[in-house]
Amino acid sequence: MIKHPTLTAALASLFLSACSGEAPVPNSPTEPAAEILTIYSARHYDSDQTLYDAYEAQTGVTIEVREAKADQLLETLKAEGANSPADLVIVSDAGALWRFKQAGLTRGVQDNRLEALIPEPYRDADGHWFGLSRRIRLLAYDPTELSPSDIAHWGQLASPARAGEICVRSSSNIYNLSLMAEMIERIGPEAAESWARGVAANMARNPQGGDTDQLRAVAAGQCSVAIVNHYYWVRLAQSADTQDQEVARRTTLLVPEFGDGEGAHVNITGAAITASTDQVARAADFLTFLLSSEGQRLLTVETKELPLTNQTDLAEGVETLPPFTPSQVPLRVLGENQADAQRLFDLAGWN
Amino acid sequence: MRQAPPFSLERYTLLQILIAGLIALPVFTAIWYGLTTGGNLAWDHILTHRLGPYTLTTLMVLFLTGTLACILAIPLAWLVSLYDFPFRRVMEWGLILPLAIPGYVLAYAWADLSGVAGPIQAGLREVTGLSARDYWFPNVFSIPGLSGILALTLFPYVYITARAAFTTQSLATLEAGRCLGASGWHLFWRVGLPAARPAVLAGLSLVLMEAAADYGAADYLGVRTLGVGIVRAWTSFGEPATAARLALVLISLAFAFLIVSKLATGAAGSQQTSYRWTTPARTQLTTGTGFAVLAYFLLILSFSFGLPVTRLIWLSLATSATASSLMSALTSSLSLAAMGTTLAFMCSLVMVLASHYSRRGAWPIRLAAASGYAAPGVVLGLGGLFLLKASGQALTGGLAIGLLVWIYASRFTSAGTEPLFAALSRAPASLDQATRSLGVTGALRFWRVDLPLLAPGALAGGLILFVEILKELPATLMLRPFGWDTLAVRAHAYASDERLASATLPALLITLSGLVPVILLSRQMTQMGDRIR
Repeated sequence: MIKHPTLTAALASLFLSACSGEAPVPNSPTEPAAEILTIYSARHYDSDQTLYDAYEAQTGVTIEVREAKADQLLETLKAEGANSPADLVIVSDAGALWRFKQAGLTRGVQDNRLEALIPEPYRDADGHWFGLSRRIRLLAYDPTELSPSDIAHWGQLASPARAGEICVRSSSNIYNLSLMAEMIERIGPEAAESWARGVAANMARNPQGGDTDQLRAVAAGQCSVAIVNHYYWVRLAQSADTQDQEVARRTTLLVPEFGDGEGAHVNITGAAITASTDQVARAADFLTFLLSSEGQRLLTVETKELPLTNQTDLAEGVETLPPFTPSQVPLRVLGENQADAQRLFDLAGWN
Repeated sequence: MRQAPPFSLERYTLLQILIAGLIALPVFTAIWYGLTTGGNLAWDHILTHRLGPYTLTTLMVLFLTGTLACILAIPLAWLVSLYDFPFRRVMEWGLILPLAIPGYVLAYAWADLSGVAGPIQAGLREVTGLSARDYWFPNVFSIPGLSGILALTLFPYVYITARAAFTTQSLATLEAGRCLGASGWHLFWRVGLPAARPAVLAGLSLVLMEAAADYGAADYLGVRTLGVGIVRAWTSFGEPATAARLALVLISLAFAFLIVSKLATGAAGSQQTSYRWTTPARTQLTTGTGFAVLAYFLLILSFSFGLPVTRLIWLSLATSATASSLMSALTSSLSLAAMGTTLAFMCSLVMVLASHYSRRGAWPIRLAAASGYAAPGVVLGLGGLFLLKASGQALTGGLAIGLLVWIYASRFTSAGTEPLFAALSRAPASLDQATRSLGVTGALRFWRVDLPLLAPGALAGGLILFVEILKELPATLMLRPFGWDTLAVRAHAYASDERLASATLPALLITLSGLVPVILLSRQMTQMGDRIR
C-alpha cells in the first residue's frame, strides 16, 4: 500500500500520542470536557439519533454527524485531507468500506474488544473496517405462480423457463452491484455476464423503482419473483398500512443458493476509523458501544437488519426469515469487483 | 453624438468577467480535474458502450419535455392574458404552483399513483377482473413518462415568461392586428406569439436546462439520461473524474441549444415600437366557453399539483409516518435559500445590466456564465470539493456555508438572468435613443429607466432563484456544514431508503415553503399588470 505523505505524518502523530487502540477507556476520556466525536454516516435512520443520544448520555461525549452518500463522504474526506474533523465513517456497504481503505482514508486499528465481538469474516484483516450489522439479498416470490424448486439457485433466474417473470431494480444500485460482484468471484466474468443477460431477458419490465416497488409488483401480479433485500419485506410486513401487510402476505421469501450449498449473499453496514483522527481510542470505544447488546438493538430496531453479534434478539419481524447459511466469499470482493459488475451489467443489457 | 453609458465600458466588461469567473470556476475546476485525471477503464467503457444511448435518451427527453411544456404553457398564458372567464384571477397565479414541487417528488407521487400497485391500476383490476399482465397501461417509467413529469413541474417557467410578455405587450401592436381583422387564433399566431418569442425562448431554455440537469426523477423512473450516467460513473465505477468528463458532454449540449436559441431570437427580430405596455383589454368569454376554459385549467392544475399533492398527504396520513427534526430543517432551507438567492440575484443583475450597457455580444462571457446552470448539481458539488481541497480547509462552519452559497450562485445565476433579459428585450429601441438624447445617464438612468423596465423580470427572477435553491439537493447534500440539513436533504434521506411515506412530510414542507413566495410574488406581478392598466 502506498502511503500518502500526510497519512504517514498522521500515523506518526498517532504513535506519538500513544493511542495504539488497545488503550481503551470508557468513561475516562483522556481529553478535556468538551470532547466531540465526529461521524460521517451514509445511514439516514431516525433510530441512529437515539443511538447517538444514548452514547452521549453514557459518556458525556458530544456526537456530530454529517449524513451523505458514501461516495460523497469519500470525496469530502479526500478533499479535507489531514484537516478532516471526521473520526469515524459509517456506511452501509462492504464495497464502500473497501474503497475508503483503498483511498488511504482509513487507519488499521487492532482492538481486542472489537476482534472478540466481530466474527472474522465481518471485519478487515488489518483492522481498517469493522462490520456492525448484516443484511441478505434474497428472492420474494408469488407462491401461486412458482414453487421453491423453480428458483432454488441464483442460476435458475436466467433460465428461459422464467421468461417475463422477474422484477428487479436498476443495475447501478449498490445491492445489485454487490450481488454481481460475488457472482463474478464465484463463476468468473464470462459466466456472470451471461447470467445477467439471462436475467435481463426474463424481466417482466424495465428495471425501475426500489426494492419495495418490486415486492409490490409481485403482489399485484405483474411478475412472479423479485430480487430484494430482506428488510424491505420485513418492513412491509410490520407496516401500519394494511395494503403493505397484504403485499407481505402475498409473497414468500426464499434464500437462493449459488449452487454449492452455501448461499446467502450477505452485505454489511460497517464503520472505519479515519486516518485523520486523533481520537482512535474514543472512536474504538464508540464502535464497542455499537456492538454491545444495546447498540446492536438500536442499530437494527428500525432498519430490520440482522445484528452482527448474538448478544441481542432479532428486531421484531425479522424472526420470520427463512434459515440461511452465509456466503464464505470475503467481503472485500464486493468492492474489488464493483466496477466490473457495472461494466458486465451494461454489456448484458441489465439497465 | 454618442452618449457615454452610465459607467465606462471597460469597467462593465471587467465586472462581467468577474461574475462569469465566479460562476464558471467550480464548473471548470470539475472539468479540468476530469480531463486531467480521468480516462481510466470506466471512461473507455462508457465511451464505447454508453455515451451514444445516454446522449440519445437525453435528447429525446429534452425534445419531448420542451414540446410538452410549450403546448401546456403558451395557450394558458394567452388565455389568461386576453380573455376573461370564471376564476381567471385564481387560475392566473394558481398555474405557478407546480413550480413548488421538486421534480423528483412529482416522480415519486405519479409513480405511486399510476404504478402497477397504485390506486388507479388496482381499481382497474378490481373492476375488470383482469390480471396485471393482461392489459396495457401508460407507463410513467419510460422516456415519455419522465418527459411528462418534467414538463408538468417545469411548464410554469414558460407560462411566467409568456404571460409577462402577453400582458405587457405593446397595445398598439395588438390593436393594429385587430384593426387588420386578426382575431382569436389568427391574432395569437400572427401577432401575439411572434412578439412573445424571446420570452417563450427564455422560459423554454430554463425548462431545458433544468430537465437536462435532472438526476432524481430520471433515476427513480429508470430512464438512463446523461445526468444519470454522470452519477453512475461516479458511484458504480468509483471515478468522479469520469463523471466530470461526462458532464462536459451535457454542458456542450446546453451550449449548443443556447447558441441556436439566440440565433433564432436574433432572426425573429421582433422589435417593439411602442412603449405603451398595457395589458390589452380582455375579451369576455361566453358562459359555456368560459367554463370550458376553466375546466381545462383545472385539469392541468390537478395533474401537475392537485392529484400528486393529495396523494402525498394521503400517504403520510395512512401510514401515520413520522419524520424527525423538520423545524430545524425548515429553518436551514429558508436561510440557505435566502443567502443563495441574494448572491445569485446580485450576480444576475450585474450580468444583465453590464451586457445591456456595454452592448457587446461577449459570447465567451455569456457562455461561461451559463456553464453553471448547464452542469448537474453533483458536478458542481464535486467542483466545490476540489476547491475546498485547494484551500486546505475542513468542510465546517462559515467556510462550508460560504462555499455552498457560492455553488448555489454558480448553479442558478443563469436562471435569474433569463427573466431579466426578457424584460429588457421588450423595451423598444426608441426608448434607448430617447434616453440618450435627453442625456439621462449614470444612476439616474438606472433608477428612472432601467429599474422600472426590469422590475417585473426582477420579481420573476428572484422567485425562480428562491424556489430552485429551496429544491436543490445534490450540492446541498455534499457541502452543507454540520447541523444544516435542509428539507430536501431530509426528504432524500427517507426516499433513498424507500420510506416514501416519511419522505412526504419534508417534501410537502418544501412545496409549502415554496408556495408562499410563489403566491406572494405572483399576486404582486398580477397587481402590477393591473396598475399599469
